[in-house]
Amino acid sequence: MMARPIPAFIPALAPPLLLIGAWQAASATGLFPAQVLVPPSEVMRTLASLAVNGELSAHLGQSLFRLVFGFAIGATAGLAFGAALALSKWIEALFSPLFLAVRQVPVLAFVPVLVLLLGIEEGFKITIVAVAAFFPVALATFDGVRGVPKAWFEVARVYRTPLVPFVARILVPATVPPVLTGLRIALTRAWLVLVAAELLAADSGIGQMMEMGRQMFRIDVVLAGVIVSGLIGFALDRGAKWIERRATRWRTA
Amino acid sequence: MTAQSRISPTPPPAAPRSASGALTISSLSKSFTIDGKPLPVLDGIDLTLRPGEFVSIVGASGCGKSTLLRLIVGLDTDYSGEIRLDGQRIATTSLDRGIVFQDHRLFPWMTLEENVGLALLNTDIPKDRRAQIVADHIALVNLSGFEKAYPHQLSGGMAQRAAIARALVTEPKLLLLDEPLGALDALTRVHVQKELQRIWMAQRSTMLMVTHDVEEALYLGDRVIVMSPNPGRIRRIVEVDLPHPRDRSSPVLHRLRDEILTELTGAPDPANLVRFPGTEER
Repeated sequence: MMARPIPAFIPALAPPLLLIGAWQAASATGLFPAQVLVPPSEVMRTLASLAVNGELSAHLGQSLFRLVFGFAIGATAGLAFGAALALSKWIEALFSPLFLAVRQVPVLAFVPVLVLLLGIEEGFKITIVAVAAFFPVALATFDGVRGVPKAWFEVARVYRTPLVPFVARILVPATVPPVLTGLRIALTRAWLVLVAAELLAADSGIGQMMEMGRQMFRIDVVLAGVIVSGLIGFALDRGAKWIERRATRWRTA
Repeated sequence: MTAQSRISPTPPPAAPRSASGALTISSLSKSFTIDGKPLPVLDGIDLTLRPGEFVSIVGASGCGKSTLLRLIVGLDTDYSGEIRLDGQRIATTSLDRGIVFQDHRLFPWMTLEENVGLALLNTDIPKDRRAQIVADHIALVNLSGFEKAYPHQLSGGMAQRAAIARALVTEPKLLLLDEPLGALDALTRVHVQKELQRIWMAQRSTMLMVTHDVEEALYLGDRVIVMSPNPGRIRRIVEVDLPHPRDRSSPVLHRLRDEILTELTGAPDPANLVRFPGTEER
């Protein structure tokens, strides 16, 4: 008489469904004007029509394009910089104070200057995403390379492992777990910063769609954007976690 | 200690090597600098290892025995005196000298055969022969069938045997063992000691093992070097004139064990006395 086990995601659906239910109920009371507290059913209708008329996918495509490009640039630079910082005492002495200070500045604080320098074209958005991705990746790479146990360097010395296989087969795999975590954090942070930057200054993208909705008092469009950006961020985090687990299967398996 | 008049209890190496692993250490001293002050860890070490010999080093913690191995393997080259292998002065690491550490130091993302194969990357052995050599050495340590296993899937004793296979795969003339069985439980330890004896008899590299365990040192060693600490010096060299494989319960081994334990506990540092229970009744 064994009850069938309930899949783990089923209970996780309850809070969002309850929230939507409460939201629907609250808008049905009429306490707030319908244009302000738009019922979820209305938001879903808007979302569906945005999806059908292609507006949503156009904005989303723009945003994801910026995310991919900016992230690729920022993550590559972060990997290189973090590794250089960790491997060279000289580079560390020279750059680490500046790096640690700039890291403390909220990325969005760079928006005004970047807009003045780069306008609100693609260059600006890709740059802000790259900046957002750079710091977590650089930091994780630095910690990852520094964290490689001395014992493993000694093993490589004992076997006189040549440089290329040493980097490819020892150094890189040893730093993969912390670096992947850094990349995942950077990816989700880059998405947050991108949507925020699009809200502030853009001519397209999911953030700009929300900003236009706000200006035209279409709260349903704003909320549709909130849902979409939340789902994208969630999917990015989950996808990156999946890759992280697969790439480090030797740790448990 | 070079005056070895007795006949070696072990037959000469089956497959003679070109130059076969004679280690000569003369007036070796080493000190670390702590807070700007030199702290001597090894002082006036003189020691000669015959090719194919198994020598154990015992001594209390801090007698510099692990430091000695690091110097011989070439991981630390800051010392005075001389260390020579087959006449060659040791200046850095070399595939002629292998080492097994107390922690197995296998790379967790590599399978057993990848870990062993890694040691061959800088050899001139043709690529198509490497797989066979790796398989042979995995078989030597009785791990055939575990080639594709990751280190976390191996028990402590298996991982340590895998580390021994990796250290031997380059066929070093000299194998250094730095408390290789120190982290194993008592039963596994006895088992791996037997394995190590069998491997040594099959391989016939010169082996130098550091251990805390006097019985282990005597069971495996043709000679046992007893060291005293602060700074590390050779206190005594004990010949173990018994053929291999040895019987653990041999009265000769027991008598020598008691002698060495008395030697070690007779050291002026009273802190050592508590470490060897069983000697006070004699």
